Amino acid sequence: MNINIPLKADANLLDKPILPKKKERDMLALSPTANAVLTVLLGICCILMLIPIYVIVIASLTSEASLVADGYQLWPKEFSGMAYKFLFSQGSIVITAYKNTIISTVAGTALAVLMVGLYAYPLSRDNFKFKGFFTFFAFFTMLFGGGLVAYYMVTRQILQIQNSLWALFLPSAFSPFWVIVMRTFYKSNVPNEIIESARIDGANEWRTLFQIVMPLAVPGLATVALFSAIGIWNNFFNCLILVDEAKYYSLQFTIYTTLNNIRFLLENADKMQGIVNMSQLPSQTFRMAMAVVTVGPIIFAYPFFQRYFIRGLTIGAIKG
Amino acid sequence: MVLPGAIWLLLFSYLPMPGVIMAFKTYKLVKPPADSFIQNKFIYSLIKSPWVGLDNFRYLTLPTNIDATLTYIRNTVLYNLLFMVVGLVLSVALAVMIFEMTNRFLAKLYHSIFFLPFFVSWIVVAYVVYALGSSKGIINSIIVPMGFTPIEVYKEKLAWPFIFLIANIWRYTGNGSIIYLATITGIDRELYEAAAIDGAGKWKQFTHITLPHLIPVIVLLQILAVGRIFGSDFDMFYTLPNGAALVKDVTQTLDVFVYNMLRSTTPLGYPAAAAFVQSIVGFILILITNAIVRKTRPEMALF
Repeated sequence: MNINIPLKADANLLDKPILPKKKERDMLALSPTANAVLTVLLGICCILMLIPIYVIVIASLTSEASLVADGYQLWPKEFSGMAYKFLFSQGSIVITAYKNTIISTVAGTALAVLMVGLYAYPLSRDNFKFKGFFTFFAFFTMLFGGGLVAYYMVTRQILQIQNSLWALFLPSAFSPFWVIVMRTFYKSNVPNEIIESARIDGANEWRTLFQIVMPLAVPGLATVALFSAIGIWNNFFNCLILVDEAKYYSLQFTIYTTLNNIRFLLENADKMQGIVNMSQLPSQTFRMAMAVVTVGPIIFAYPFFQRYFIRGLTIGAIKG
Repeated sequence: MVLPGAIWLLLFSYLPMPGVIMAFKTYKLVKPPADSFIQNKFIYSLIKSPWVGLDNFRYLTLPTNIDATLTYIRNTVLYNLLFMVVGLVLSVALAVMIFEMTNRFLAKLYHSIFFLPFFVSWIVVAYVVYALGSSKGIINSIIVPMGFTPIEVYKEKLAWPFIFLIANIWRYTGNGSIIYLATITGIDRELYEAAAIDGAGKWKQFTHITLPHLIPVIVLLQILAVGRIFGSDFDMFYTLPNGAALVKDVTQTLDVFVYNMLRSTTPLGYPAAAAFVQSIVGFILILITNAIVRKTRPEMALF
């Protein structure tokens, strides 16, 4: 078995800019016309990419009255920030969900970085006796799984993590894929000599890992952290299959159930005349605002990680 | 050092594996007697449940169910193939274009924008679909005044392949291009310079230098993707249609089908049989693909 996902072969590359400087590529540069066409074309694509985000923001800012009268508009007749005011004044369900999601994202990300960082290091060292076995042990799970039903029964009946905060992050706290990426990252970015000299200076395995190796592997670990954080923040599945009690709902699950409720009620409004008073339904814009604020915090994580992540972009060629 | 990760793998990945035998049993919950060695209800019941051979699979192919089963298999496989091909082409194209841009600041900005959707969860995308395509959605508020008949995506089967495709492109293209962009960055510039001197245009450079360098990455990712061909992006297929029953035929995939059976009163053996097919066929396909790759280009095989 010969899997190898290097995060860029030579260490110097991390300090090089990801794209070569203009001067270097003059000879290969596109003609000014071609470049202009490309820039405009991709610019248009970027604007298209932003449309869904625009849609959801504008929907959350539409006033309830204009929504009832004309539906959602590209540019509503009447704006209103009421939804946000309402969201932050009331909203115990949002606050609980927020709290749950923040705790599980932080805990899950920390666990992922630690477990992946620990697991991958021995696999990167040639003198680890069980290297082959543990590589296969992780890799095999990428190829074969017990299936949803078995997973559901095991997590609920044997591990019994349902209806707890653990359910929201423990199943996402480790990933064989990132183990393989990190293994290669250690291999290619932490020179053997450094590890050996730490050894000679009397550092044991643990000290070498935490004080010498991990600091050198920060870009790789930060990439693992970023992807785990996004994964857990946006996770819906764990909550769907493992949580039945509202006090452990995650943010994504909470906003999903609310969307589900409005759609059902609105579409069946005619059949339910007299049963449900439509004017008493929680406001639709309120729900849109809820969706907007779930995106917020995780996007703020991006610039924080970007420094490393742009380097992490050099996740080099996967070599088969 | 490998211990925490190994325990996690043991609990969350290896422990469920023997559970695949549920597909060949009629799972009945029995309380283990006090003197039993195994006190866990699930394990005890699993062992005690009677073997029924292929009965669970037969249920999925009964005349009343065969249409549904085939429809969900078709949806799963076709959507996966579509996403594989379109995702690959667009991600590579985006990586090449970003790399060729002369203005480095804009290139970085563009790439960040393309990556941005990856931060947005499928549930928020479900809200966007609702705000755009529901009966009171933005699309209707634009096309109805122009004289078109209003559309409502939750009742429109034809719309869903496009919604899923666009949503998939939107969320994953930027993320998918990262690995190709990184690979292209690693290619020796001198190769291109030599090619340019020999008179190769941009297209020739792409087919003769860039593409051959990308092939190993592409092959690896596609082998892994083939193994997941019976799986699906559960969150997307489950949340975007929002449970709309009228479009079930074009939106439901095996994953969602298994989940829905799991959560209904259907005997557990049935969803277990469907899940078994997913695991085993996926595994076999990955072995076959890898064997083919191994035959033709041994250095690119996964194992």
